[in-house]
Amino acid sequence: MVGLGILVNEQLSTVLSQARWDRATTMLRGMPVVDAAELLMTVPYEQQQALFRKLPIDLAAKLAGAFPYYHAYVLLHSRPLDEMNAVVDQMNPGERIHFFDELPEEAWQSLMDELAEARQQRTGVDGAVEPALLPSQVIQPVEPIVEARGIEKKFERPDGGEVQVIAPTDLSVQPGMIIALLGASGSGKSTLLRMLSGLTAPSSGDVLWHGQPLASAKPNVAIVFQSFALFPWLTVIENVEAPLLARGMEHRERHRRALKNLAVVGLKGFENAYPKELSGGMKQRVGFARALAVEPEILFMDEAFSALDVLTAENLRGELLELWMQKKMPTRSIFLVTHNIEEAVMLADRVLVLSRNPARIRADFLIPLEQPRQRNSAEFLLYVDYIYKLMTEPDREAEPPAPGRPAKPPYRMLPHARPGGIGGLLELLNDRGGKEDLYHVAEELRMEVDDLLPIVEAATLLGFAKLEKGDLEITAAGKQFAEGDIATRKVLFREASLARVPLLQQIYTALASKSDHAMPLEFFRDILDEHFGRDEVQRQIDTALDWGRYADIFTYDSESDRLLLYQPATVEASEESWRH
Amino acid sequence: MASLAPGAGKQPTWLHLEGLSASASSLLRDAPILLAGLALFYGLLALAQYWAGPVNTQPQIDLHASALPKYAAYSVARILVAYILSFGFTIVYAWIAAHNATAERIMVPLLDTLQSIPVLSFLPGVMLAMVSLIPTKQLGVELGSILLILTGQVWNMTFSVYSSMKSIPREMLEAASIYRLNWWQRLVQLELPYSAIGLVWNSMMSVAGAWFFLMACEMFVLGNRDLRLPGLGSYLQTASNAGDLGAIGWGVGVMIAVIILLDQLIWRPVIAWSEKFKMEQVEASQTPHSWMLDLLRRSRVLSFAARRTVAPAREQLALHFAHVAATTESSKRNTAAVWVSRIVAAAVVAALAVAVVKMIAMLGGLTRADTYGIFRGAGATFLRVELTLVLAGLWTIPVGVVVGLHPRLAAVAQPIAQIAASVPATALFPIVLLFLIRVGGGLGIGSVLLLLLGTQWYILFNVIAGAMAIPSDLKEVCDVFHLANWERWRQLYLPAIFPYLVTGFVTASGGAWNASIVAEYVKFQGNTISTVGLGAVISAATDKGDFPMLLGGTVMMATMVVVFNRLVWRRLYALAATRYRLEA
Repeated sequence: MVGLGILVNEQLSTVLSQARWDRATTMLRGMPVVDAAELLMTVPYEQQQALFRKLPIDLAAKLAGAFPYYHAYVLLHSRPLDEMNAVVDQMNPGERIHFFDELPEEAWQSLMDELAEARQQRTGVDGAVEPALLPSQVIQPVEPIVEARGIEKKFERPDGGEVQVIAPTDLSVQPGMIIALLGASGSGKSTLLRMLSGLTAPSSGDVLWHGQPLASAKPNVAIVFQSFALFPWLTVIENVEAPLLARGMEHRERHRRALKNLAVVGLKGFENAYPKELSGGMKQRVGFARALAVEPEILFMDEAFSALDVLTAENLRGELLELWMQKKMPTRSIFLVTHNIEEAVMLADRVLVLSRNPARIRADFLIPLEQPRQRNSAEFLLYVDYIYKLMTEPDREAEPPAPGRPAKPPYRMLPHARPGGIGGLLELLNDRGGKEDLYHVAEELRMEVDDLLPIVEAATLLGFAKLEKGDLEITAAGKQFAEGDIATRKVLFREASLARVPLLQQIYTALASKSDHAMPLEFFRDILDEHFGRDEVQRQIDTALDWGRYADIFTYDSESDRLLLYQPATVEASEESWRH
Repeated sequence: MASLAPGAGKQPTWLHLEGLSASASSLLRDAPILLAGLALFYGLLALAQYWAGPVNTQPQIDLHASALPKYAAYSVARILVAYILSFGFTIVYAWIAAHNATAERIMVPLLDTLQSIPVLSFLPGVMLAMVSLIPTKQLGVELGSILLILTGQVWNMTFSVYSSMKSIPREMLEAASIYRLNWWQRLVQLELPYSAIGLVWNSMMSVAGAWFFLMACEMFVLGNRDLRLPGLGSYLQTASNAGDLGAIGWGVGVMIAVIILLDQLIWRPVIAWSEKFKMEQVEASQTPHSWMLDLLRRSRVLSFAARRTVAPAREQLALHFAHVAATTESSKRNTAAVWVSRIVAAAVVAALAVAVVKMIAMLGGLTRADTYGIFRGAGATFLRVELTLVLAGLWTIPVGVVVGLHPRLAAVAQPIAQIAASVPATALFPIVLLFLIRVGGGLGIGSVLLLLLGTQWYILFNVIAGAMAIPSDLKEVCDVFHLANWERWRQLYLPAIFPYLVTGFVTASGGAWNASIVAEYVKFQGNTISTVGLGAVISAATDKGDFPMLLGGTVMMATMVVVFNRLVWRRLYALAATRYRLEA
């Protein structure tokens, strides 16, 4: 099946790149609608858009009903207003209602307005509007600056095995675009950036720089780092000059170029200051000046705004965008890695969403909104909402087991959330009537998706809440938990975790079966080593300790590094768990 | 040294080359610097003349006080040259170990072992090699003495730079490689600056160690040869042998004066200058100051000279290496480098293997009595070292905590303690010995006192630093709960200073093992006084030229130090880093 799918996909892709729209249309007509929609979604977005514009109205309507609502929304908008209206009209009524139902409120309102406008236009102007699609509007395939083919990353475990951090991935960076790579923390997005920029080599696969292998190509790139990575013993201007000196540039020219770039980022007059005399925002400006000074083809940004406070970050993002829009930057593309959804939707022309364990690209789509973007506009929120749903939705397909290697059952990961955080979320949900759109929850709590997601995952894992299409709904047990007092909560938490959390079940069974009811923590660490990298093992252990102690499943003695089965009589032990 | 400070100060504004405006006041201000420059030049000339002269290994050491300035100058010159060589060695060794994973596997354990070998054990090898290399000039013997000083000071510096280079933050390294900094620019703009703070402190400790072992390094018997080099160390040793209290007093006085002078002229300015290498995100409110550094920075002569020499040289070097890096193909250079490093590594491994085989053969020559002596000595010295640490802890912990808790007391006590600590204990040995002989204690007990003199300061300073770092809110909590004095100590002070205490004990323990070679075997008033101990075994073997015994004693000591470090100190360190860390 898989092989066939790829074959068909390549055929469609080829047909589309040759602009043979009729052939593509016939192909799609020849298969069940659901398969056709799925197939269409596998080709590059530009091609999807180009084809969708060309499709006969009836086929477009059928397909629109089979797409996920956000995809349908975006593709519909690739057609002129009246055609969009015609497509919507011809959709199967049931599918149409479903589509409208799923749209977030803002997007729904905006679509309603547009359709109303289209109807008005049609009554005003007689006759059909020319389906004007100039050849130049078809997006030509552009030669990418950097192209990754099947790159993956594996790290060695202490016991000699391997942990796959990044699954084989194809990725290319085209000129003239801001590309955002979104993922939760620890999803491997920074590793991907480092492989694309040539800092680390992939375990396998190739990275091509203008078609040349990266190692020999000496790519001209720059990175803006989360921690700024300035040299504190050099003055601001010496920091900016350092990469120029490395290129053997003479002093006078170097100085001139550095001053120019400092002026661009608004740091004129600070040349001779040391970084430690500057605020965080100004330090990152130095980081930008240093990056721009080398006139990079691609400017990489690794969580460049994460270490700054909200206002400073917002300000700096705005200035960056302005420089980019006004072409004051000598760079052809920007590739940024972030966990902040709004940042991605604010800046990016194209967004890649990464899933975890191992990282793979889960979605790759364009954001064809005009700059500057309005944070409260319907389209903006539509994208934010869409990405939220993408990131909260569990992975659809598990990795097919590779031949020759026994497939290890993927270990259920403990989300890194604290019991207190889970309680807080459930209380909020309960107060809001038990059901709420996830994006609104995040907004309410002023939380990044990065911080919220683990809590949501934990609540669903424990069966306290359900996640359905971006809506978080409290369950009966969750309601009981939210309204209970401390003792009730502990009992509920204990029941839920012993019933649904494999790691805690494992620990409980092991402890209960031993005569002294004690086990070294090292034992469980070894088990986890089988499934995770070293840092992740530590986080899993920390979370398990946190949960197990809260739920009164066990106590932990740090002196001997042992877990002891909780016995209600051990008063000191429970006090110990409270202190943590 | 002096040229370092202005060149590396503020960004030289040599774009606008301004001439030397010769106003009267600026000339006046620069007069001391000009005079100092001339004096240095004359000193170098005189030293060169002396070193190039014929061998004179048995000069009469003149116990007259008027000879002291010359002797002091010779000693300072030796220590300085040894330091410069140590510096060079440190950078090269640490750089290779930090950059080459294969070399690292050999070089780091080797360094660990070398660090635990006492100075005297190097003596015969180093001396014989140098004297046979340059047999006719004074330079040969001098170089031997200098290398001996070097073996006492270089290892901890190297270790410090190596571990600094290995702990550079990842994103800084990534910035260096994404912006294609070549190896030279990496070294001068990233690796050296990052290592600077640790290197400065270790340099100070190293030079202090050099003063400590100066007596052993300037005057010694090597088999049938009695070697003496004119210097402060040999002066003190001779005065001690003669029991001339007046001369000892003069010698100690001059030594203290020289140490204080060096502190003011070199170390304070270097510390104040190195402040800019701190990895802090915000500027500290209090920074160390040095009048000397201010003088150098304000000097027009020096800043002019730096603009004309240091800055252009730096620029040319940087451009040169950038050009080299741009033209050499990385792949070609890599294969060549790989081959060179393979050959070097093979040679080193072969040499080490030969050395180990020879060593085992030589150890085979030890009689049963010899082996017994070594083990007995090791046991005795072990007990002595631990006793010293306990005694040192007993007085330094209460005193240190009290001083550290009272800032005003600390302001008075710290400079005094620093001067007291800077006096090498070896210089005081004769006076202490005289006292011991009067009261009738043997060297068995006396050597503990001698060890104490040398090592207690490490603990004291660390305890003071630890007590000063106790956050005031924790102290206030104690007040709120009306904790009794003893409870306060148990609940707050002792846990809070624990990490500092461990650091102090580790340093003191290493120092005590090393110092045992001069504390357990002393020449005084024409006699050799010694006691049972590993240090005495090594010293006696050196004196007699008994190489198998020297080797046996050294291997024993290195083993004990390394094993003790691994088994005890490292675990305590881990405990201090996890459980007793005061997080901000």
